[in-house]
This record gives sequence, C-alpha cells and structure tokens, in this order.
Amino acid sequence: MSTEAGARRNEQRFLDPATLARLGSLELKARTVVEGFLSGLHRSPFKGFSVEFAEYRQYLPGDDLSTIDWKVYARSDRYYVKKFEEETNLDCHLLLDVSASMGYASNGISKLRYGSMLAACLAYLMNRQRDAVALTTFDDAITAMLPASARPGHLRSILVTLDSLALGSRTDVSKPLHLLADGIRKRGLVVLISDLLDEPERVVDGLRHFRFRGSDVIVFHLLDPAELTFPFERAARFRDIELGDELMAVPSVVRQQYLDALNQAVDRYRQDLGSAGIDYQLIDTSIPLDFALMSYLSTRGRTR
Amino acid sequence: MFGISFLSPLFLIGAVAAAVPIAIHLFYRRAEPVIEFAAMRYLRQAPVEQARRRRLRELLLLALRVAALMLLAWAFARPYVSSFAAAFDGAATIVLIDTSASMSGPGQFERARERAAAAVRDTPSADAVAVMSFALTANPIAPLSQDRGGAIAAIAQLQPGSGATRYRAALQRAAQELGGRRGRIVVVTDLQQSGWDAADSGVPQNVSVVVEEIEGPAANVAVTAVRPDGDGAVAVVQNYSSSAVTEQVVFALDGRRLDAMAVTLSPGGNAEARVTTGALESGVLSASIDDRDGFRADNVRYAVLDAASAVSVVVLTASGRPSESLYVQRALATIDGAGGFRFKAVSASAFASLDAAAFADTDVIAVLGTRGLDQQGRQRLAEFVRSGRGVLLTAGPDVEPAVIRQALTGVVTTSWRERNGGQLSFAPDDARHPVFRLFGGTGALGNVTFTRAALIEPSQSANVIARYTDGTPALVEERESGSRVLVFGSDLNHRWNDFPLQPAFLPFVHEAVRYLASPHDGRGEYVVGELAGPTGLTPGAVAIGSSGRRVAINIDTREADPRRMTLDAFQSGISHLHTRAEQQAAAEARQQEDQQSLWRYGLLLMVFSLAAEGLLGRRLG
Repeated sequence: MSTEAGARRNEQRFLDPATLARLGSLELKARTVVEGFLSGLHRSPFKGFSVEFAEYRQYLPGDDLSTIDWKVYARSDRYYVKKFEEETNLDCHLLLDVSASMGYASNGISKLRYGSMLAACLAYLMNRQRDAVALTTFDDAITAMLPASARPGHLRSILVTLDSLALGSRTDVSKPLHLLADGIRKRGLVVLISDLLDEPERVVDGLRHFRFRGSDVIVFHLLDPAELTFPFERAARFRDIELGDELMAVPSVVRQQYLDALNQAVDRYRQDLGSAGIDYQLIDTSIPLDFALMSYLSTRGRTR
Repeated sequence: MFGISFLSPLFLIGAVAAAVPIAIHLFYRRAEPVIEFAAMRYLRQAPVEQARRRRLRELLLLALRVAALMLLAWAFARPYVSSFAAAFDGAATIVLIDTSASMSGPGQFERARERAAAAVRDTPSADAVAVMSFALTANPIAPLSQDRGGAIAAIAQLQPGSGATRYRAALQRAAQELGGRRGRIVVVTDLQQSGWDAADSGVPQNVSVVVEEIEGPAANVAVTAVRPDGDGAVAVVQNYSSSAVTEQVVFALDGRRLDAMAVTLSPGGNAEARVTTGALESGVLSASIDDRDGFRADNVRYAVLDAASAVSVVVLTASGRPSESLYVQRALATIDGAGGFRFKAVSASAFASLDAAAFADTDVIAVLGTRGLDQQGRQRLAEFVRSGRGVLLTAGPDVEPAVIRQALTGVVTTSWRERNGGQLSFAPDDARHPVFRLFGGTGALGNVTFTRAALIEPSQSANVIARYTDGTPALVEERESGSRVLVFGSDLNHRWNDFPLQPAFLPFVHEAVRYLASPHDGRGEYVVGELAGPTGLTPGAVAIGSSGRRVAINIDTREADPRRMTLDAFQSGISHLHTRAEQQAAAEARQQEDQQSLWRYGLLLMVFSLAAEGLLGRRLG
C-alpha cells in the first residue's frame, strides 16, 4: 500500500491535476511528416489496429466521402459520416538531457526538474492517447532507456525513472542522438528536452539524423531565467558547472555580449532546426509548465 | 663576503605598509563571489578573462604594489653593500698575553702563563682558540684552531719583552683575528695604566672582553735617562714606589764598568747620579741599577756617544751677530756632543760663500734673517730644501717674505705677510705632531704671549700644526721632495714674543730641530718598537741605515710606571672602544652609502614598479 501511495504522490508531483485538465482539453496536434496525421488529436500513419466507433454525424460538405456510411444512407436516404475514436500506434521518444548543466537553478527549479516534469506531462498525454512512449536520458552518453510501450503500466515506469534521475556529467547531445537515431526502426515522434549547451552544428546534425530516419522531431530548449537575462550585478567568478573552470567577469561589462551570443545561438537553432523541419521551442524554466505546454501546442496547432 | 646593510634600518619598518595591498587583495578576493553557472559557452564568447589568468595578473599587480612599497622603505633605509669578514658559525676565544716590560716583575710572567693556559683549557670545546702576545703590537703565537695543546705549548714558550703596553692595538688585532665571529677576548695583563692610548678602532659588539689580572710589583725603580755630561755621565733614576729606596747606579761604556754611584730616592721621586769619567767621545754608555723587586726591563738605559750623531744646525741671521740668534743658540747648546746639536750662525750675505763641506754637513737651516741673502744664497737655500733636508722659517722682523718667496719658488708655496696684532698665544692644532709630543697638549705653550705675529697663508698641501688664539696658523709644515719645512709665524729671538723666556721654548726648539732633521736619521735614541724589525725590540745599541750609524734602544719610560687601572676602568674603556667602534662603523657606513647611493636605484625601481602597475592595472580594468 505504502509503495503504491508513494508512487501516486510522485505522479501527482509530476502531473499537476490542474495542468493536466487544461492540457486534456487541448488536442495534441502532432505533425507528421511522412504518414501520420490525426484530425482532432492526430492521425495514425497506418490504419489503426483497434478502431473504436464513436458517433454518427450528418455529412457536411468537405467531409471525406470515404467516411460516409452507405448502409445508413440505404436505410435512411441520408448521408451520415461515421466517426471513430481514432488511435495511432505512434512511437514517441522522449529524450531528456541529464547533463550537469541541467542541474543549474537560479529560481528554485532546475532545468532538469523542469524537463522531467515536461517529459512526464508528455508521457502522460501520449499514454492517454495509447501511443507508445519511450524515455531516454543522456549526458555525453545514454544513461537510461525505457523502450516504447503503450501499456498503462509503462507510464508508471517512466514516471519512476524520471523521479529518480541523477545529474550526469558533460553535455554531448549529438553523440546520444546519433546512437538513438540509429536504434529507432519505426518512424515516430522524437521529443528532445535539453539546454542544448553544445555545439549547435552537432546538435542539429544529430536531430537531422532523426529526420532522415523519418521521425518527427520536437525540441524543447530549456534555459534558466538567469541564463536568459544574465541578471548578475557584482563582479564574480563564474564557475562552469560541468568543467569546473572559472571566468572572472563584471556582469555589467559582459552582459550584452553574453546575451548577444545566447540570442545568436537561439536564432541559429531556430533557423537551422526550422529549415530541417524540426519544431523548436525555447522554454524559460520560470514560466509555469502548463503555459509552456500550451504555448507549444498552440504553436503546433497554428503551424499545422 | 658582502652583504646589504642599512644606514637607517628603522625605515624598514615602513615595509610593513606592504601588508596593506596584501590585505586589500585578500579582502577583495574573499568578497568576490563564485557563481556556479551553466551557460558558460556563451559567457566565454564575451570579453572576459580566465579566472586563472586574472588571478595571475592580480598577483602580479599585488607583487608590483608590494615591491613599490618595499622599495620605498628600502630606499629610505639607505642601503649599502658592506664588506665584512666571514661570519663563521662557531665562536672563538682569543687569549691575549701581555708581554710588555711591565710584566717582567718577579714571578709575574709565570703567573701570566698559568692564567693564559687556564683560559685556553676553559674555552668551550666547540670554540676555536688562538693565542696572541702583545706589547706595542699583537702577534699571533698560536693560530685560531681547536688545538688546545698547541696553544698551551706556545704559551709556555713566551717570555716578557721590553715593549710598552698598548691595549687598544692588541684588542683591535684580536678583533681582527676573530674575523666577524662572535666570541671573547681574554686579556692576561697587569692592567698597567699607561697602556691606554688613543686609537681609532675597537672591538665588535658581539665580542666580550674578559680580563685575567696579574698582580705586578708594588714598587719599581727605573733608570729613565742617561747621557754624557761634560767630563762625565749623568743618569736619572725614578722611584715609583711609596717608600724611599737607595740604588747603586753603575755606569759602563761599551760594557766596561766606568764608575758607580749610590742614589737615595724619596717615595715617588727621582734623582740624578753623576759620575766623572773624563770626556766621553764615542761608545755605548749605559747606566744600570739592580732593582730586584720591580720590573727588570727598566733597570738599564743606554746612550750612544757619537759626536757625528749630533744634529748640525745652521742659523741664518741678518748680520751673523750672536745676539740675532742668541736664544736658539742657547737652546741648542744645552745638548751638545752625541745626540745633541751642533750650532753655527751664518749671516745671510755669507750663506752663499759657506764652504761645501759645511753645507753638506748641515742637517737643518733655521732662517732668522734674510737681509743680504743674495741670489746665489737663495738658490743654495732652495737647493738645500730640494736635497731633502729641513728648514725652519721664522716670520720675524728680519725675514722678508718676498725674499723667501723668490728663493723657494716652486719648492715652498706657503707664504706670510705682516700684520699688526694684539696679544696672542698659540696652541697645537695637532697635539700628536712630533714637535708637540712632549707637551701633552697646550700645556706650557699657552703661556707664550705674542705681541706681533705674521699672517701665514698656508698652501693647499701645507699642514697647520699650531694656531694662534685668533685661529690663524702659527706653525705650518710643508713637505717637499722628502724635506720638511716649518714656517713659524713669529720670531724666535725675543722681539715679537716672550717665547724664548718660557720653559716651553727649549723643548720646542729641540723637537722642531730634531723633527726637521729626522729624515736624515739624526736621532740617537729610540724606544723599543720604534724601529722596524727585530733589532728595535731589544734595549741596547743597534746599527741602523746604510751608514751603520749606531743608536740606542731603550724602553719607553712610561712602561716603568707600575700604576694600574681598575678592572672597572678597563671595562669602561672597552665600552668606550665599543662606542668608538660603532662611531667609526657608522662613519664608514655613511661614507659607503654615500658613495654607492643605492637608494637612487631603489627609487628608480619603485617608479618602474608603479609604472608597470599602472599599465597592468589599466588592462585589468
């Protein structure tokens, strides 16, 4: 009992009911590049294996003619469209960066914790839609991997894994990406949650590998508000969380150059990933998680 | 070995100010926060410094600031490179044994040897030890080493000599032997009072002086003078004891007994023993007593009888009349014959015609008048000076300065001019000068009254050895080509002063003439140690110079005085030596520092440091 209660508490920690309710009212509109498309939620790239009848609706101009139930028409001489609770067998791969830099927190919540919650939300949503969800954590190598599964119990495994994450070492996004891309045999959705503190070329190159393998890719670029604004005032020695080396800097002097360098990197990610057909979303970890998800999903909905 | 010393080391305290930038550095270093940051890759693209490199620069800045402050303190402390003897690790003991004549009392030196040997044995085993004997000078007899046996054996060989005691010279030599080591000097001596004299150096501060006092005889009788006198000989015997004594004075010539005479001496008094032996022309005259209770070394005194050894003096006067040189003649006539003076008065006009033999035999010319000195006479006078002999110029009424100037052009550049003066007296400017050695300071000279005196204008090379009470030169010495010229700023014939009537006149004339004649070695008597070489260390008669002229060697009469100083007085004298040594060291240090002026380089380096600090600081922001 106690174990179940603990697990439930952990689920609650990652999945705030209010956030979940709001997310639940949205349709996850994933864009599929190759075959998948789902109207309302999303459409499977294949015809679903388990098709569940939902309702009949009177035909409206513009509806697909193939959805007209001709038997009903024969009986009633009216055109009805047969609506199904469509399911896909989409494999969603959540890739979470657990490198040491993800442990940075200026406002109480680290990027890793924020990323974990985001991954949990997404996993929950995927699982609710009966999509198979896989979770992979990595730093400069893959540190944990849960294979894709749509089983209800799988969500718990993912959540437990997310709850017990430990910070890794240096960031090397591209290497695990290439490894994972080679290992994915079925086209699906790849969600990368990382602070992308790596060489942009290598990161983009790794993500293109997924695109090459036919998967859709979404990138959540997590940055702490202090990383986005560099709010420091006094001269200080800045110690690299991952490498341990130090830089002496007077913030008022270096702030603009820092922000320019950051914005340049963000713009480059946005541009290069956009050109590669990869969705890119910059997430400020001070923004509530639900707003971040909604913002993203709205963006996905608009762009679709 | 060389080392940096400081003239004003207290300024080095200012180097503490170097702690200020260090403290500031440490304070700001502590206050500078360390922020863990993840997006360092973007920060690195900003123009920031590596903390390590910045820390290095900060340390460099700190070093420059500290260096500037320390250089400032260093420069103000006025550094100089001093040479010093190697400061050895180990301590050392120098045992000084007094071998002067005053150590020749009965059983006295045996006790001295025992105490010296004991001092060697008592030296700490880790210390090196050396033994030196001393009288007028100090001589090592056992070099500085750990060899106690050798040192004690050397002590056993020592015998008392005839030299006078000179503590300062001995202490100085011992300190020199220590060569910068810390240690002690053990002085085995009778603490004779006359052993202290003026000297210019002392013992270092890290050297202690221990005195092993050897009791001397309470009484002593000494022969203090012997000379031929008319058709006999006379000896002076001094009683240094507090009771009356009678001594038999034995006279001998060349070791052959002439006669003997008993003298009775009152406590502390003296007496003359006079014997008639007929005229004594040549040989070694001695007078001896048999004082077994006192010092043995002063029981005999020698005089060499040699008419040729008398100093030949020619006096130039205006007319050659005896009255023009009466007082000088009388003064010189008090000692004639061997060791005395031969006097000849010549008019200035006749000086040129003085026969060559008489001219060659002359040791000193005293110029009391120049009237009638023709050109040939002037040339002869200049030739006399150039030949290395002595001239006494008196600036009296019969001596024309213009004539002297013309005669001695290029030889003697000191001149004088007449002046009207009031009552003046004079005093030695240099009491150690041989002319005034007998006076022991101003003494009787202060009683001389001058009604007129010339204003002497000494040349740059001249040496003023006496001055009038108004500060103007009274007696000036000028040396030229080995000769000695004395210029006396008044006359010597009782016309401008009462000098000839004063008791000081006779010794003054004697000493002045002897001094002027001394390059010719006219002296017939020396005290022990005065002549270089071993022959001068033993009382008696010795032959000196290429001519083989015989002179008498006697002990210093001061050495016959058995009065002793107290141990406290001796130690206070050592303290005085310390002070003098410090003063001398300070003076030398000032001179060295002044010559080297290292502070300039210190300030220059400080300016460079500050300039570098400014440049580096600007780059650091």
